[in-house]
Amino acid sequence: MRKQNRVGSRLFIGLVFLFLYLPIFLLIVFSFNAGDSSAVWKGFSLDWYVSLFQNRLIMESLYTTLLVSLLATAIATVAGTFAAIGLYSLSRRKRDALLVVNDIPMMNADIVTGVSLCLFFVAFFQGWGAFATWFNGIQGLVELPTRLTLGFTTMLLAHIAFDIPYVILNVAPKLRQMDKNLVDAAQDLGCTWMQAFWKVILPEIKPGIVSGALIAFTMSIDDFVISYFTAGSSTSTLAMRIYSMTKKRITPEVNAVSTLLFLSVLILLVANNVREIRQERRAVHQEVHEPSRLERLSLRFSQPSWQWARRAVAGAMACVFIVVVMLLTGATSSQPVVNVCSWGEYIDEDLITQFEDATGIRVNYQTAESNEALYSLLKSGGADYDVIVPSDYMISQLIEEGMLEELDYSRIPNYSLIDERFKDLPFDPENRYTVPYTWGTLGLIYNANMVEEEPDSWSALYDSRNAGNVLLINNSRDALAAALIHLGHSVNTTDEAEIRQAYELIADANRRGVFQGKVMDQVFQKMEGGNAAIAAYYAGDFLSMLDNQAEDVDLRFVIPEEGSNWFVDAMCVLKDAPHYDEAMQWIDFIASTEANLANMDYIWYASPNREALEQYPAYYQELYGEELDPELYEIMAVPADVLERCEMYTVLPPATRALYNSLWIELGV
Amino acid sequence: MKNKRSLFAVPYVIWMALFVVVPILIMVAYAFTAIDPVTNASQITAENFTRMGVYLSVFLRSFWLALLATLVCFLIGYPVSYWMAKEGPRFQRVAMALIMLPMWMNFLLRTYSWMSILENNGLLNQLFRAVGLLDLLAVDHIQMIGTSGAVVLGMVYNYLPFMILPIYSVIVKLDGSLLEAARDLGADSARVFLKVIFPLSLPGILSGVTMVFVPSVSTFAISNLLGGGNQLMLGDLIELQFLGGAYNPHLGAAISMVMMVIVVVCMVVMNHFGEGEEQAVML
Repeated sequence: MRKQNRVGSRLFIGLVFLFLYLPIFLLIVFSFNAGDSSAVWKGFSLDWYVSLFQNRLIMESLYTTLLVSLLATAIATVAGTFAAIGLYSLSRRKRDALLVVNDIPMMNADIVTGVSLCLFFVAFFQGWGAFATWFNGIQGLVELPTRLTLGFTTMLLAHIAFDIPYVILNVAPKLRQMDKNLVDAAQDLGCTWMQAFWKVILPEIKPGIVSGALIAFTMSIDDFVISYFTAGSSTSTLAMRIYSMTKKRITPEVNAVSTLLFLSVLILLVANNVREIRQERRAVHQEVHEPSRLERLSLRFSQPSWQWARRAVAGAMACVFIVVVMLLTGATSSQPVVNVCSWGEYIDEDLITQFEDATGIRVNYQTAESNEALYSLLKSGGADYDVIVPSDYMISQLIEEGMLEELDYSRIPNYSLIDERFKDLPFDPENRYTVPYTWGTLGLIYNANMVEEEPDSWSALYDSRNAGNVLLINNSRDALAAALIHLGHSVNTTDEAEIRQAYELIADANRRGVFQGKVMDQVFQKMEGGNAAIAAYYAGDFLSMLDNQAEDVDLRFVIPEEGSNWFVDAMCVLKDAPHYDEAMQWIDFIASTEANLANMDYIWYASPNREALEQYPAYYQELYGEELDPELYEIMAVPADVLERCEMYTVLPPATRALYNSLWIELGV
Repeated sequence: MKNKRSLFAVPYVIWMALFVVVPILIMVAYAFTAIDPVTNASQITAENFTRMGVYLSVFLRSFWLALLATLVCFLIGYPVSYWMAKEGPRFQRVAMALIMLPMWMNFLLRTYSWMSILENNGLLNQLFRAVGLLDLLAVDHIQMIGTSGAVVLGMVYNYLPFMILPIYSVIVKLDGSLLEAARDLGADSARVFLKVIFPLSLPGILSGVTMVFVPSVSTFAISNLLGGGNQLMLGDLIELQFLGGAYNPHLGAAISMVMMVIVVVCMVVMNHFGEGEEQAVML
């Protein structure tokens, strides 16, 4: 009877473990996949491990993750232990009151902690800016930096802030259990307080400290939300990197890094378990006599040298660790840097290396999800970018709000290569702030094998026949633009009735279940894998999808007959950019014909560089030994007659923007 | 001598004031102010709260899905903890290690692993196709990603250890003599469980419920990745106001504050109820 019971319970536990580990197992299996799909097995290979070690973005974020977790754990463990000792010498009432405050970060949802810390840091930076300006004004000896931004330091502070409560929570019970008289006894026997601390208190509470440190480390390494809100723009943990990758295309390099992380933890755990089991066996064999507290105390006093040796080794290791950390941070900070923010997969990454080799300037390359998200990031004080690549209408808005710096065109000789068509555009009429990066159109991408008839109108996006297979573009401007065009309105209308009519078209389709989801760059994996039939997206991205589409997928692109939007993305420099000179060099480098050719080949967006645009078909033929399909070239570099049907966005007045925002959120509600 | 030691508490009190109390006060200050779009000046107002009625359905959805996830975690986690505690010490140690292990990979990696499984053309749908289930139902695929079910699955998968660990650690410490006493007094095993074990494990259940419910109700990564943007939750709403497409930190702070208050009230009520139970058992 009992035995049967156990079989049942073990089966249940086994099933739960299967549930916990099957996804991880699959993750590991597909890290060895020869193809780049995480669902289709194409044979065994170690390619992803090789490319993982060459992927600087992932390796840097892995390093950041480990560094922030280790540093936060070390600092929080020391601080938390002393805090706990301090708390336990207070009166009971005071201690209980403080412990309630201590519980707040653990009880609060991560997002609340993250948001409140983010607001706190930003408020502090504003106050600091005012103070530093005043202070620099009254004296000339010390120059205080006036502009602070979120970054590694704020993220570290946030990690320490949420780690400390866990350390206290684990140390406190050990202090409660400890015999208070032990410390008095030690001091009566002639110890100073410090000696009593090292020899009596610390060994007594050591298990609490160890488990506290372990939990602090676990929380730090598992954290995503708090880092996301406090790290700002130039620092990424592994989790943040993956989160931004899930918005574009996740490469199996992520599987590879997961596998390595998983295996290293597994090995540590197994080693630890084996050690414990051995110790247990030895204990059973030897029948050790458990020494009493006093005996242990006397033992400790009788072996001072041993203790000191161990402490010295630990101290030395800590010093080495600190020196390494300082060297690493110092090495990166002394080198000139330029902080660039662009969109996901929007550059041939070799260009970054080429630029770095040529100039010795390190490029800190980050990505944002959309113009609106970039704007939020800039506004929330999280961004210390130098160069950004927003689209036309967002550039107008940024200029309007005084957030951009004028460019020094004398240092960007390659600007002369930009085609006249892309100069004097409405968003920068006097050509003072921008160097165009790419241009293109919005259109319909569809999988010919999944639609009944090939669409040539935006109405396909709202058609019930495509229910569950349409991807709605996840930014209010483009989504509403498609609806506005379909209804025959201007994409720049400020008429509330017209905008509401367009919204109703989308909302109605949403209620009918036409949309599978709202996506930005997830559109890649969805369309390439045949997971969705139709989406409104950019021409350049359609062309990169062609390279990656699955066997049973036949992707095509059309600019609907009602017309569409055409856009220019341009490089700009933010006001007070800390690396203005480096930014000029970067912009000039990217504007060169060679860089534009490489970029066109990699990201498939048309270049505004006259030479590059003309030379591309020849460049392609030379590179691949076959002719570029003229149809594809026309999708990329849209001919003038088609472009005439397209309208460019202009910046909307604040009231209309507010309407867009609230309508957009209402759609999700 | 005592005084000297209490000095250790001073830096910590300052730290907590700075990094716990002040940030929350700033958040509250943001929640009660708004920027006038015309004059660009900030003013004190309660409009962030009055405007929140529009988002009632998001609040309801978040709490409903989080509740569902908590319930499923409990239904799976309690038996696992209970049966684990009955096993031998080596089994227990290995099982504990196995439960903790995934937490050292980041939770985003764990969520990501489900994406490729649940996709329309993902591993599970491929499996269904291979065994002929899809032909049987005459569908091309079974929609899993982008549904509320996928979001709940993601929550359960990520937070199940948070339910198992506290319940297990309470059950494993139960005084065996209490159970013997109950049996000696004539209780059958069902009664022993209902009258002794279950009430005594309530503190573990309560902290497990808290540890699953709070992150579930506030998540935005899981709903984003597995809900496909269709299942907007409170966390998404907050993220949108800060780092997403609809910049309005004042509204974001107000939503965070309301969520914080609701969660705290829930916790207080639950703990109160829990303490009552505990005392009843003691009596």
